[in-house]
Amino acid sequence: MSIVIVSSDSTEKGEEIARKTAQILEYAFLGRGELLPVVTHQHGIPKERLDWALDKSPRLWERSAGFQDRCLAYIQCATLGELLKDNTVCCGLAAHLYVIGVSHALRVRVLADPVEIAREISKGGAGSLEEATRVMERRRKYRRDWSLNHYRLDETDPSQYDLVISLSQIDTDEAIRIITQTAKYRRFAPMTYSLRCIEDAELASRVRAGLLETYPTVKVRAEGGTVIVETKGTRRNRLKMAAAIKERVQNMEGVDYIEVHVKNGLFKKFS
Amino acid sequence: MSERLSVLLVDDEPIVGKRLGPALTKIGCDVEAFEDPKKALDRIDQKTFDVVVTDIRMAEIDGMQVLDHVRMKSPRTRVILITGYAMMELAREAMDKGAFDFISKPFKANDLRQVVARAAQSLGVSVDFESTAIPSQ
Repeated sequence: MSIVIVSSDSTEKGEEIARKTAQILEYAFLGRGELLPVVTHQHGIPKERLDWALDKSPRLWERSAGFQDRCLAYIQCATLGELLKDNTVCCGLAAHLYVIGVSHALRVRVLADPVEIAREISKGGAGSLEEATRVMERRRKYRRDWSLNHYRLDETDPSQYDLVISLSQIDTDEAIRIITQTAKYRRFAPMTYSLRCIEDAELASRVRAGLLETYPTVKVRAEGGTVIVETKGTRRNRLKMAAAIKERVQNMEGVDYIEVHVKNGLFKKFS
Repeated sequence: MSERLSVLLVDDEPIVGKRLGPALTKIGCDVEAFEDPKKALDRIDQKTFDVVVTDIRMAEIDGMQVLDHVRMKSPRTRVILITGYAMMELAREAMDKGAFDFISKPFKANDLRQVVARAAQSLGVSVDFESTAIPSQ
């Protein structure tokens, strides 16, 4: 009984390993194909835009609009909602970046084999290994920037994971065997503390997703039904804003108590 | 095996024993509460308990040592660790060492009762949790 999260620098390989792991463990599999249609249905955002949010960094003029942040917040909220059910293998949804501190989530990083990447680049032919290494290095830098930009975590840093497997040294079947065995370790079993951690994360993400469109700078923490919301606003509107947020959040499922802190926003202060 | 679940509770903060002791007695547990972990270990050497509930951070002997001691003496005993300093690494270490569950403070008396009821169930002992539980708000 646990959660396995597979992250990889090769989408295809990561998903293949995650699917087979789920099959062997008899867990549910959660990937983009399973989750993104749900997000599309809930928020009316086309799947292509959600894929874009997960894969690309926004251009400068797209950043201020906060559309990508909203897409990612909706994906995070829906993913955590599914992970509450436990016994799930998750891949391709950046979940490794938002289950930090959840002890029953086994986070696995699968490093693709450069030879296979070379084959991918040349579409089945013999691609050069140097070129593949360059492409992988570019991808690594891009993902590093993306994850730091959105989650302030470097997803290419091995210390973010419980297990790192290099497919240039260990073949796919062996990797799956290692992951399935590790998932059964007692240290990855759910406990009251870790279940509460993921419930808190889910509640915080749900509240944030509900507020983000109106309050793009909103930050939310949750602890056992207590929700703390932080946002920016003008000094004049502080009370009104706090009351509006409270009104919107207090009836959400799982919220027992809400605290709102509105800080002075730099630009609004001078406007 | 006795009908009632025997529980040893150890926390160096007196208020914890005072609050949790009666809460567990209500569901039919025989509770012995200790503030001094050394005395608690002496008692564990004398009697085999069904469940041991221990705080982790205590002055001379910490909860992990209590866990090790109990596991050596009676692998059947379920050990529940409670702490105000919960961290993923500590939680994983506790589970590795054989803890039954790990709870972070603050928690409601009902939360502990639920975990104790699960521990009792795993031992084949029934406790009357339902009739005394305070419904969650």
